Amino acid sequence: MTPVRPTGEWDGRAFAHEAFLFATDQEVLDRVVPFAVEGLARGEPVLVVAGKRVRKVLAAELGRDVHRLATFAAAETWWRGGHGTLHAYDRDLRTLRATTPTWRLVAEPVWLARDEGREWSRFEAVANRCYAAMPYYSLCLHDRRRLPASVLDAVVRTHPLTWSGQAPVQAAAYEEPQRFLRSVQPAWEPRPGHSAVWTVTAPRDARRALAAVMINGWRARAEDVVLATHELLTNALRVAAFAELAFWTDHETLVVEVSDTGPGLPDETRGYVPPADGPQGSRGMWLAWSLADDAAVASSPTGTAIRLFFRR
Amino acid sequence: MTALRQLASPTGLRSGDHVFWTFDDPADFSAAVLPYLDEGRRLSEQLLLIGTSRVALLEALASLPERDEMLASGQLEVRSVTETVDPARGLEPVERVESFRSEVAAALERGHTGLRVASDATALAQRGSVERRELHVYERLADETLATLALTALCLFDSSLGDEVLAPLAVLHPDQHHGRRETLGCLCGRGPWLSLRGEVDVSLADAVLRALVDVARGAPGEVVLDLADLEFLDVAGARMLASAVRLLGEVGVELRMVRAQRIVGRCLELFDLADGQAVCT
Repeated sequence: MTPVRPTGEWDGRAFAHEAFLFATDQEVLDRVVPFAVEGLARGEPVLVVAGKRVRKVLAAELGRDVHRLATFAAAETWWRGGHGTLHAYDRDLRTLRATTPTWRLVAEPVWLARDEGREWSRFEAVANRCYAAMPYYSLCLHDRRRLPASVLDAVVRTHPLTWSGQAPVQAAAYEEPQRFLRSVQPAWEPRPGHSAVWTVTAPRDARRALAAVMINGWRARAEDVVLATHELLTNALRVAAFAELAFWTDHETLVVEVSDTGPGLPDETRGYVPPADGPQGSRGMWLAWSLADDAAVASSPTGTAIRLFFRR
Repeated sequence: MTALRQLASPTGLRSGDHVFWTFDDPADFSAAVLPYLDEGRRLSEQLLLIGTSRVALLEALASLPERDEMLASGQLEVRSVTETVDPARGLEPVERVESFRSEVAAALERGHTGLRVASDATALAQRGSVERRELHVYERLADETLATLALTALCLFDSSLGDEVLAPLAVLHPDQHHGRRETLGCLCGRGPWLSLRGEVDVSLADAVLRALVDVARGAPGEVVLDLADLEFLDVAGARMLASAVRLLGEVGVELRMVRAQRIVGRCLELFDLADGQAVCT
């Protein structure tokens, strides 16, 4: 029988991202305990952030070794929206990276079971790109009993590694982040006939115009809409002399579309990439995406159109 | 609180008002100072016009009602910049503001209701970056002092100075008329703290950075920047504030931002500027 190799070929120098799907406590123990024990034996910080059930069975099995874990925390209180959660996580990662050559993480994003938590899959997808150089192994636990089929489908498409029973292996269902994002963003329907459409050359004019139409129950979202749109317009006007701003409501959703005839977006995933260290690096798309409830991108070499969706 | 205003006309002004005004040519200059000083005449204020030369100034005032009577009585005075600023010593901001304080007292003593100054500071803004920095410090100090005196000030600048010079100066005035540019925001020196007011976006970020760093760098220690009246900040504006924190930090000044509105905080937190830096009042 082949011995279990909890991190396979991973050399501790780059990001490894595995989805482990389980349905019983024993499956959790069989996967996580050797993973944690190997990390402790190698002197790597081992962090565990998981739901109550997983924490309980791990604590019982690990006994006193639980105290050797660098973190043993509840996942239930972590969720603060996709962007808020990733931003906080990102800060923790940077702190770790500054002090630790390599580490390993066991994470159970329990919020995927909730409707508002499902957007997390998009961040999981983009993490494969933006954390590629982060030296840690992220073992993500997903409970088949609690998560609906659509979420489990997104899980296997956003993690490059899966568990063979003996070692991590390439996941056949894994997709490139951009392809995954395109598949889950709102469908790109034609603009409705009642859309307002403006040509914009200065973001400040668009701010005034937008603020003036944010009435009748939309006032509470006005600041978010105006700032998010301003950032998209600022980006568009960097690559084009003018931008088009379209704006419509669809029942309880307000849609803003900013389009330009520039060369297309170099990276469609930027709305899910947390701000870089230091003052340089773009943040406009991250901010716009975080202020909106949803976003969709249509980008080609002849131009870019971005839609932001805001719910009342 | 001093509201930020975009002025279409240099009138409707009262003590404490501090106006930035650009002009294109002598006729435009005249068109600004005439209604401004005439309003002061009707309010029985002491009037003072400062500019390049007395001759040119008197010419600009040719059609001011009662010009000669006011010159004779001393209610109106014209001065050249060289009479007010010794080029060898520079602007001496503190001294200059103090001299206005005593001129206001003298005007009140003579029975006037206050002092109204119009000053063409183009010559001061034209010099090097060191002099411009001093001018920024002066404008901030003047703004702070004006609020407490029976003093109205119209600071005039030739529009040919260009945006790079003019925009930081405009930002240091709560009342602005900058050609066709829309007034967005100002850096105010009134009250216990420096404050940013209005809107600071990508189009104003460079100007605010220059003004802010110049006026805050003089005092080592902590400088508080009140953001309570800042209604809009974008990513470029927040990046600018991060730069200001870094640049000031290099000269021993700790810039601390307080009382940011929710939406402003969203941009600040992208640069880790918001956490733990809000004080409640």
